[in-house]
Amino acid sequence: MRLTELPRTTSFRLALMFLALFGTCSLLLFAFVYWQTVGYMRRDQDEFLQRQLTFYSTLSPADRVQRLREHPRNDPGTRRPSGEFAANGQWLVGNLSVLPAELRQAHQPVDFVLPSAGAPVPFRGYATQLPDGHWLAVSQNVHEPREFEALLLRAMLSAGLLTLLFGLAGAVALGASSMRRIDAITLAIRRIVNGALTERLPVQGGSDDLNRLTREVNGMLDDLERLVHEVKGVCDGIAHDLRTPLTRVLGGLERAQRRASTVEEFRDAAARATEEIAALLKTFNALLRISELEAGARRAGFSDVALAQVLADVVDLYQPLAEEKNLTLQLSGTASPTDITLWGDASLLFDACANLIDNAIKFVPAGGHIEVRLDAEHRAISVTDNGPGIPASERKAVLNRFHRNEPSRSTPGNGLGLSLVAVIAHLHDMKIDITDAAPGCRVSLSWSAR
Amino acid sequence: MSRILVVEDDAATAAEIVDALVDHGFTVEHATDGRQGLAMAMAGGFDAMVLDRMLPGTPDGLGVLASLRTTGVPMPVLILSALSALDERVRGLRAGGDDYLTKPFEAVELTARLDALLRRRYPLPQETSLRAGSLEIDLLTRNAQRNGETINLLPREYDLLAFLMRHAGQVVTRTMLFEEVWGYRSEERTNVIDVHISKLRQKIEVAGQPSLIQTVRGAGYILHAAD
Repeated sequence: MRLTELPRTTSFRLALMFLALFGTCSLLLFAFVYWQTVGYMRRDQDEFLQRQLTFYSTLSPADRVQRLREHPRNDPGTRRPSGEFAANGQWLVGNLSVLPAELRQAHQPVDFVLPSAGAPVPFRGYATQLPDGHWLAVSQNVHEPREFEALLLRAMLSAGLLTLLFGLAGAVALGASSMRRIDAITLAIRRIVNGALTERLPVQGGSDDLNRLTREVNGMLDDLERLVHEVKGVCDGIAHDLRTPLTRVLGGLERAQRRASTVEEFRDAAARATEEIAALLKTFNALLRISELEAGARRAGFSDVALAQVLADVVDLYQPLAEEKNLTLQLSGTASPTDITLWGDASLLFDACANLIDNAIKFVPAGGHIEVRLDAEHRAISVTDNGPGIPASERKAVLNRFHRNEPSRSTPGNGLGLSLVAVIAHLHDMKIDITDAAPGCRVSLSWSAR
Repeated sequence: MSRILVVEDDAATAAEIVDALVDHGFTVEHATDGRQGLAMAMAGGFDAMVLDRMLPGTPDGLGVLASLRTTGVPMPVLILSALSALDERVRGLRAGGDDYLTKPFEAVELTARLDALLRRRYPLPQETSLRAGSLEIDLLTRNAQRNGETINLLPREYDLLAFLMRHAGQVVTRTMLFEEVWGYRSEERTNVIDVHISKLRQKIEVAGQPSLIQTVRGAGYILHAAD
């Protein structure tokens, strides 16, 4: 993990953004509280001074002097010194010994400082000139309120600083944790790119956005891995299954070159080669068709398909072939639900069913029975035979391209029939199931209600 | 003799098509791009056109077709394309094509389809019956007879026979039969169609007389017009 990359992580940036947002809000809130509190305290002091001054100035000069003289007794700590001064500022009476210049000039409550034994003490005072030219001054020690204000400010500042520190630490922790996860994912991706297809991105418990994304990607990787295996399977299949006929063609032609002497013999060799190559071409076409269908391009031509009609047509097409092999081919379940429709391509659905019936006809021995069924209740088409069946271990494999189980090696076919059915089923969002019909095999294509 | 215009840019494919058509007895002219093809088609004198869907430059295959149809040239057009997706085919037919063939194709498939298109071009007057040699079918009652004797046919067998008789004397491929008689578009299901044909043969043929429906090796079937 590199610290320089930290500021680039989304969670770090988000945390910082929220810290800034929260900080600004707190600052505004603190400022408001401070301003209100301090304002209230100052107003209170000023009102008190105003009241005192008004009180003194309404008294008669004699009473005022009396009161001012008695004032120190009520104010032993000289917390609220007041005094009367001559027009020139000369002290006359009271426990305020000097008339600070600020007071004479302000004509409103004003701050001033009085020297004392220790540090100078802050006061707030208010002075007015009486009709006889004397100065009357009242004041209040504001050391404690000022201290309180300073304390408030300091408390708010330290709280802000702490918030900032914690916020930053949180952002770093969040950023680092997300960076660790991204790093782990990046590493996994690199391993996958380098060929470890079974590798998956790490998912941590919960279902946060990153985990959800990771799960999706893992799902995609599952699909990719399957596809890569399929492609590999197809390549192997092509190599194995196409090499044999090609070798046969080559061998036949070489033999003809060496031995054939008459036009008839050459013609024979050419005919055999043509036949083999036509079969090869057919296999290639089937492969191409499967990949084209897999690309899903054909969905554009979809429409509502009446399944009962399609099944009736397929059965009609295969009936003579089944009769020829002495098999009974029977269509059932289509009598009542004639209106079952599926969003799809009629020709493809026809092909899928045709392939299933074709397979059944190929593998069921004479005298056997094949049933094609349209099940309205379970939304499924099934083809059931009483032939040899497919062993449970091979039921998944038969859907792969070129797979042919051992007994079927001797029958004609390119091993692509069931993969075509599987691809068509996939294109129609149908599920393909191969089950044991005891005896025989049942292949069903089912779809869910739209 | 029918004159066919081939518009195809790929020299190898064009040569192959021209050879196949000349072998089949057509007179063939060849254009290598849409502009030249359109000019030749407009000049007239052709009975049908084989048109590549993907031509370099403008107009492409569908463009040529659209121009032809807007100027009212009714010549039957068979579209060739490497694109086999269903909607591509529908687009081609909608643009005014009469048939559609996916590359690669077999020569016999192309010539058989061209024969069918040329036949379609001269619609016979509203006929109510078809005749081919000793065979006769009534299109209204769907009754088939040979030498005046009624043959019992299943509906599908009747459709097969009617299609073969409509194209009497022409090679009809299994794919064409499958498309026309069953109404689905698919790869050929050779052996299945063969069984239907052999059942039909059993019903319409009379012992001691030559077979009416003949198998053309590697191609399809032909019903001979006269015996």
